[in-house]
Amino acid sequence: MTKLSKGGMDRRQFLSTTAAAALLASVSMPKIAFGAEKTVKIGFLAPLTGEVAAWGKPGLDGCHIWADWINADGGVKVGDEMLKVEFVPYDDEYDPSKARAGAVKLIKEEDVKFIMMLGGDPWPGASQVAEREEMLVSTLLPSDLTPDTEMLLAPCEVHPIYNVTGVEWLAENKPDLKTAVICAQDDALGKPSVATYLAAFEAAGIEVLDEPIFFDPATTDFAPIMSKMLALKPDIICLDTCYADYVHPLTEQAFQQGYKGQMISCTADFYQKMVEKTSKEFMEGFIFQFPDFDDPKLNEPHVNFKKPNDFYQEYLKRYGAGEWSAVSWEYASIMDLWADAATKAGTTEPTDVLAAMKEGGVGKHAFGEADWWGEKLFGINNALVGLWPVVAIQDGKAKIQDFKSIPDWWDQHSDLLIKHMKALGQMYYQRT
Amino acid sequence: MTAELFLQTVVNATYAASYMALIAVGFVLIFGVMGVINFAHGELYMAGAYTVVALYADMGFPFFLAVVVGLIFVGCLGLVMEVGLFRPLRDNPLGGLIASIGFLLILQTVAMMGFGVRMENVPPSTQDKIVFLDGAVLTYQRLYVILAAVGLLSALWIFLRKSKFGWSLRACAQDREAAVLQGISINQTARIAMFIGAGLAGVAGALTAPLVSPTPFMGHSVIVTAFIIIIVGGIGSLEGAVLVAILYGFVHTFVTTMYDGTLANIVGLLLMLAVLIVKPTGLFGAKERA
Amino acid sequence: MHKPETKTAGFGWLIGFALLAILLIVLPHLLSFSQQEILVMLVIDVLLVCSYRLLTLTGEWSLAHAVIMGVGAYASALAAKELAVPVPLAMLVGASVSAFLAFLLSFPLFRMKGFYFLIGSFAAGEVIRLMWKWSDLTFLFGGPKGIKRIPSMPDLFGIDFFEPVNYYYLCLIVVAVSLLILYRVERSRIGLTFHAIHWQDKLAESVGVNTFRYRMLAFVISAFFAGLAGALYAHYVGAVAPNRFDVEEMVYILIWAIVGGTATFYGPIIGVVTLTIINEVILRALGVDEMRPMLYGALLIVSILFLPDGLESLVPKTKAWLASRKERRENMRTEEVPAE
Repeated sequence: MTKLSKGGMDRRQFLSTTAAAALLASVSMPKIAFGAEKTVKIGFLAPLTGEVAAWGKPGLDGCHIWADWINADGGVKVGDEMLKVEFVPYDDEYDPSKARAGAVKLIKEEDVKFIMMLGGDPWPGASQVAEREEMLVSTLLPSDLTPDTEMLLAPCEVHPIYNVTGVEWLAENKPDLKTAVICAQDDALGKPSVATYLAAFEAAGIEVLDEPIFFDPATTDFAPIMSKMLALKPDIICLDTCYADYVHPLTEQAFQQGYKGQMISCTADFYQKMVEKTSKEFMEGFIFQFPDFDDPKLNEPHVNFKKPNDFYQEYLKRYGAGEWSAVSWEYASIMDLWADAATKAGTTEPTDVLAAMKEGGVGKHAFGEADWWGEKLFGINNALVGLWPVVAIQDGKAKIQDFKSIPDWWDQHSDLLIKHMKALGQMYYQRT
Repeated sequence: MTAELFLQTVVNATYAASYMALIAVGFVLIFGVMGVINFAHGELYMAGAYTVVALYADMGFPFFLAVVVGLIFVGCLGLVMEVGLFRPLRDNPLGGLIASIGFLLILQTVAMMGFGVRMENVPPSTQDKIVFLDGAVLTYQRLYVILAAVGLLSALWIFLRKSKFGWSLRACAQDREAAVLQGISINQTARIAMFIGAGLAGVAGALTAPLVSPTPFMGHSVIVTAFIIIIVGGIGSLEGAVLVAILYGFVHTFVTTMYDGTLANIVGLLLMLAVLIVKPTGLFGAKERA
Repeated sequence: MHKPETKTAGFGWLIGFALLAILLIVLPHLLSFSQQEILVMLVIDVLLVCSYRLLTLTGEWSLAHAVIMGVGAYASALAAKELAVPVPLAMLVGASVSAFLAFLLSFPLFRMKGFYFLIGSFAAGEVIRLMWKWSDLTFLFGGPKGIKRIPSMPDLFGIDFFEPVNYYYLCLIVVAVSLLILYRVERSRIGLTFHAIHWQDKLAESVGVNTFRYRMLAFVISAFFAGLAGALYAHYVGAVAPNRFDVEEMVYILIWAIVGGTATFYGPIIGVVTLTIINEVILRALGVDEMRPMLYGALLIVSILFLPDGLESLVPKTKAWLASRKERRENMRTEEVPAE
């Protein structure tokens, strides 16, 4: 019996490898033509299937554009060589054990030099592997950072700290709005974000009515939640860091139940559809934090993201008009930072690249020069913060209103943020 | 709770009860007639929503045409399931369950490959709404769901009471072997039950598509709700399913508004456990069975 | 005539087991690094699905098994992390907590049978899982994010259990012992009573068998080993979260058991091994990430339609086929002999 099953497995493996080889050959023909050139492999370890795929897949799409552009220019300069960049994706299905297997595969079998992750649930699975192999890893969720994650960086989106910029801008520009209500899904994104908004509102002298409303991520009907919020008669409705699946129905409910006040949210992915579902008048002035990359303000000299307008057009051309989202550009912007550091270090070795990246305690963040920061909040200075855009909808289109400095806010109000983070159990020493 | 919030919550609950009833009745019908737990019921609902995404949102056909096509299309998916999966597995109830899980995975993946993993947006077909005295609001879009639930379920009820098919459906639901002895064709009855059951899920999905944001995974939460309703209402009891959908819609909406949604889900499940322990035939099951 | 035959059969079994043992010991060294990781998970899943089968012997199909595995994982993780219980001991604590919970759940759940039990167990499991997620209990269970940085198995005699190969051997020993226990239970009088309850529960009751107690016993034993599997998982991966033990996970357990077949002890093992190889190795190698769930679904349907008794039903068929071939060959030889 053992022999039989073993024989069967061999045959299956044989079949699968031949089929895979055939498939690979057909897909990557053009690349093989350049085969003689040296390449550096970058791991992309994020959910590509399942419910969380929306946070991984668009990022991989953005990376393909990034790679095509950089490779067309010859590649990344490392020492005396030009290295082509190749992304190796592994679907972690948002599961820690799969992330662990994926990290092992990427590091030991694919020999990648850098891994980009979404972070969150899968990170603890991959963390030990990354630590032992001294692999440099990036996450979009800085709540993964702790004092001992020395090789883990949050180099792009330091969620949710940048949310303070929106509230600050709102208080400066619409000083007559005095009360707010907050709702969020009860999960790893929602909680720290609520703490941040609470701190930001307190700093701005805006009163938050009642307790923040946490709802189950499995909620499908948002009418009751919106009814509950509207009953408090707030000037501002804050949708926290709700996923698009929640922001849309909540906004629609606010519109339908007759709300007329200000709205603020971390994201407003596919906001055009929200405008369609409600009205231009209703959506006017809706504040959030993620610009469309065709925004002319992104051409200001402090912005480090390369050719943002072209990137946006290319993305829409390749993947369709409705597909642009917050994560589309983020992984690509992390690659900018990495390529820069690799050139500076003259090698792709993770520890050297990390050292080059953090040299002088500052780095070139997508939106401008930024500091490596986070010790007080995460126990380690591995989060890159600087300017962040405040976006508002004007006449049905997202427009950057201003770039605001997160470190400036932090210098004045750090105690407030720490207070609220602590109250919700979000400090690094409280996160179990 | 202010009077205004109370009234709005009643409106919200009525809507919730209606769409739950549409889904649960189909689920009960399929289980009653064929003895199969259709795990893919949530995905049939999803397929209905995506019909509207494709026809109405993407291609611009009229909304109600898309809804009707959704009913027929999903009903036909039901037929495919019956002929391709459930009939060959008639003597293997667990087999039917597994096959429906396989079908669920296929439907999810097809939706994902055809439309992407991201949520879809369906603009409302109308923004008109009814404003009640105290300012409670009921949009037309939600009203359609309520009307469809009342209309379709009444039609189904009459159909089951008056027609010969209805008679054989009920006979199969009560005792399949006896039904066969009476000369009832199990296969034909199952086909009709599957078409109606799936079609109701499809209509629910199609009508709610502009209200929720359809994703390939939207069926997940639906199936749990359906479970709760079928158990509390009593397996095989259509009237029970409707009554419990109303009860559950109200309990869930009020607990969500007054406390929180997770607690509402826990309350629902505990309610179901309590019924299972005290009266496993369900609140309305015994009458049907006698 | 009769005796030597069993002797040779026993001898054959012995050789078979020896070969299997050698294969299992050598196996990790034949695999790639990431396949070793998958192998560790596979061994844990084998225990999970075999423990599930024990309960199915009594004729009841539970939908709470994944959550019960989670209970073991959570309890073991909390014991090791918060109470500083040594990891091996914490694993036993985790398994025992699962067993105890099953004991408590028996009282409401075994008032039901068949379909009602299926749904009832589902509801009970979901309530437990929602407790983990609930914000009011976050201080204990960590909410939707679950528990992170769970202490890992400490080094023993200089063996580093972070290495998948070493952890695999550890799991292999634990699982082998567990399977042996499960096998002995099934073959004992208790196990025979389980079968009796499945097929003839009224009859069993009439001859004085307390069916409730036996159902409970099956549930408790099965929960103990599911909890152990959860503990093995938790201390290897280092993190547990409520969504890891949701309906989807339960569906996988069901699928492994049913595709493999539950009539024999080895059926579920064949199921989980085959499906894991197909899902994790072959489909991933094909680079069809997005299509993976669909191919898996199609495979399920095909196997349930054309192999309703599971993959295990192929074993006797293959045996028969091999035997007939052997016989034919021997016949041919005997025919040939006189010809020469």
